[in-house]
Amino acid sequence: MEITFDNNIPIYIQLVEYMKIYLISGVFKCGEKLPSVRDFATDFKVNPNTMQKALAELESLKLIYTERTNGKYVTKEKKLIEKLKDEYAITLAKSYFQGMKRIGLGKADSIKYLERVNE
Amino acid sequence: MVNKLLKYDLKYMIKNMAIFYILSIFFALTTRILFNMEQSAIINIISQISVGCMFAMIVNTLINTIMRSWIRFRDSLYKDESYLTHTLPVTKNELYNSKFIQMLIFFFISFIIILISLFIAYYSKENWLAITNYIKTITTGLNISTLFFITMTIIIIFLEIFNAIQCGFLGIIMGNKMNNSKLGYSVFFGVIIYLIAQAIILLLVFIYGLFDSTVMELFKTATINIDVKAFKVLAIVSSLLYILIIFIMSMLCKKELNKGVNIE
Amino acid sequence: MSNMKLLEIKSLNKSFDNKKVLKDINLNISSGKIIGLLGKNGAGKTTLIKLINDLLTPTSGEILINGKKIGVETKKVVSYLPERTYLNKQMKVFEVIKLFKDFYEDFDDKKAKKLLKELDLDIEQHLTKMSKGMQEKVQLALVMSRKADLYILDEPLSGVDPATRDYILDTILSNFNEKASIIISTHLISDIERILDEVIFIDKGKVVLQSSADKLRNKEKASIDEIFRRMFKW
Repeated sequence: MEITFDNNIPIYIQLVEYMKIYLISGVFKCGEKLPSVRDFATDFKVNPNTMQKALAELESLKLIYTERTNGKYVTKEKKLIEKLKDEYAITLAKSYFQGMKRIGLGKADSIKYLERVNE
Repeated sequence: MVNKLLKYDLKYMIKNMAIFYILSIFFALTTRILFNMEQSAIINIISQISVGCMFAMIVNTLINTIMRSWIRFRDSLYKDESYLTHTLPVTKNELYNSKFIQMLIFFFISFIIILISLFIAYYSKENWLAITNYIKTITTGLNISTLFFITMTIIIIFLEIFNAIQCGFLGIIMGNKMNNSKLGYSVFFGVIIYLIAQAIILLLVFIYGLFDSTVMELFKTATINIDVKAFKVLAIVSSLLYILIIFIMSMLCKKELNKGVNIE
Repeated sequence: MSNMKLLEIKSLNKSFDNKKVLKDINLNISSGKIIGLLGKNGAGKTTLIKLINDLLTPTSGEILINGKKIGVETKKVVSYLPERTYLNKQMKVFEVIKLFKDFYEDFDDKKAKKLLKELDLDIEQHLTKMSKGMQEKVQLALVMSRKADLYILDEPLSGVDPATRDYILDTILSNFNEKASIIISTHLISDIERILDEVIFIDKGKVVLQSSADKLRNKEKASIDEIFRRMFKW
């Protein structure tokens, strides 16, 4: 899970983003137990306090939850993850079309290009 | 904790002194062997060299015991190593006591090594008799027992050396309070402190003399015609004074150390 | 106990020859944090660290660790890595390990041996035969093998190769626990800022800023390194 950080943005915010991708892509599945804060911190090579803060943020977004003694788990509600995935996909798609628009390509052309690349 | 500190101080000293001890005894042995060989011109020359080497090593042993005590004191309290020394969970008094005891032990060991070397090189019935006779003439002249004479001489030599080394310690402590030329100041303060200590001892003997006419005679007469009684009293009084001065000086050292250090 | 300050510095001043090197330093450091003590060379970082470690005597002011004045009790809980080599070079590495075990109750010799092995260092070797870099690694392994309340690392990253730098950061992180705090002084901010909870900026003998690292990034929308450069026009 070696990742590089942008020092300009708070580390915990970047960790939240990385974790979201992991949840969406199914690295951690619905209802699955998450590694401990310490293990995460060691893997990401970040300060455990920062990792704690990132997980707290995810928890406030209801994407993960804490079982009192057992540790942290991914939410059981698939819908939440699906929703997150949807939001991400839309953001990515929007930025694609915006980029194409900037170089003067309309909707139809843009889709064509998508298909071409995907072949 | 003093015993743990002492363990490392003694290890350091033995690492640095061993070579002189070994060489002193080695040249004492060669001297002895060469003396016992059939004499020829070449053997004669070699044995002269051996004698020279032995005495050089004896002098080295003596000087190094003193110098190494100072160097160890300065290095571990004021040089790079002090970064460890002062961050160990020990008191400044313990640090000082360890250095002081190390100095006592090593001067004693060096003294024994020197005696052993001389004994190996020169012991023979004739020499032994010559020495004992020589001592006897002194002791009968002074009307004291040989044992008393030898013990007092050794004690006073020891105390004098301990005092000198400790004056060096205090000199190092004072010198390192200065902001520059710490080494120069250390030597300067060391010498001054030593002279002051000697002056105080002399002054105290003089004050004692005010109450004891036999001792007072020493200050009045120019001749070396020591009164028999005076020698005994003087020996005891001055060793007591030495002990007092050494004690006061070590209190001073600890007091100064406890004020805190400033390592470069 | 929990709200007792780990390190408390009150109006601390230090002068050499009437030259003020530290001016009215006030700092509070609690447990469970990695703190960057950041400043240019000569800003006063090392002076401050040496004062905390009893290697310098304050001109005025007070330093308390766990509420106690600097002394035997505080030295038991502070693990300090100086910016120079400070071990007696006549010793072998394993002898130094023994020395640490003799004096520090919280020293874990097995861990030290493990770290030294990971760093490819031979414990049978004489320190004289080691390069300065190797000696520094030995020191780091020793210092990190204590279970102290406060670790103070003075410029642990200067002059090391990138691989070692990563190893050092990993060692610091994997050793870190909630009960302890780590103060890392450095002028190489970008290398280290991702692991910092808190930053202290020190300049011309004064503490100019103490803040949470992420809060500062959020506020200034820039990296700590950049904020520092802007502030001191470096």
